[in-house]
Amino acid sequence: MRFMVMVKATQDSEAGAPPTQELLDAMMAYNEELVKAGIMKGGDGLQPSSKGARVQFDGTKRSVVDGPFAETKELVAGYWLWECASLDEAIAWVKRCPNPMPGPSEIEIRPLFELADFGEIVTPETAAQWDRLKAEAGGQG
Amino acid sequence: MRVMVLVKASKDSEAGVMPDPDVFAKMGVYNEELIKAGILLAAEGLHPTSKGLRMRFSGSERTITDGPFAETKELLAGFWLWQVKSFDEAVEWLKRAPFDGNTEIELRPVFEMEEFGEMVSPERRERKEHLRAEFEKRTG
Repeated sequence: MRFMVMVKATQDSEAGAPPTQELLDAMMAYNEELVKAGIMKGGDGLQPSSKGARVQFDGTKRSVVDGPFAETKELVAGYWLWECASLDEAIAWVKRCPNPMPGPSEIEIRPLFELADFGEIVTPETAAQWDRLKAEAGGQG
Repeated sequence: MRVMVLVKASKDSEAGVMPDPDVFAKMGVYNEELIKAGILLAAEGLHPTSKGLRMRFSGSERTITDGPFAETKELLAGFWLWQVKSFDEAVEWLKRAPFDGNTEIELRPVFEMEEFGEMVSPERRERKEHLRAEFEKRTG
């Protein structure tokens, strides 16, 4: 099963506070364990929302709003993509994660859609597109 | 540079309502255009938060809260990872996406190793490269 594991933002990450040497080391060691376990399929840190933007879609209208955005604890600061045998395994691995922030923090775990989950809306054409997409976008580039 | 494109949730996505088949097909075509343009690095849909959970880290405490979560328009329903020449290029490509109805998409540049600058010692940089090579070997 595949999961997205999201590190939620904090005031520190939104302020662009750099991680301590200690945290960088601990995270690198943790990422090494994830790779060795065959679980790691990708991951990145996101720059603060002050460097980002939102595009709002309304019919044919497109509006662009620049960051920063207010709802700090709902923002994403970083993520991993994992392949695990079960949600329980993903939870166990998250428990072993070093605290990614200087203070209290939150990590969200979400299962990813596979083609079969879309059921009846899938056509032979969209199934072929999906396969090509996964062949192309399997890695992190 | 790489940009993460975050598709926010809606009442429908949180209720597990399947996308309109027409929109699903148009999205397939859009993804193919992204691939042809050499932009698409990753694309995923997330199951509703009712199938997910959050873990709070506080000192040595770990507390789990099961979904669903309330703040629908702040939740994530899907994402892309794009390789682009500039942030503006990502914004222009996003405007062309075939979303219907009221949708909000967030764009965030991702950190590259260079951005950590002096914090990254030569030893750590080498270890990271070794790790990346190991990762690529395993994911093929």
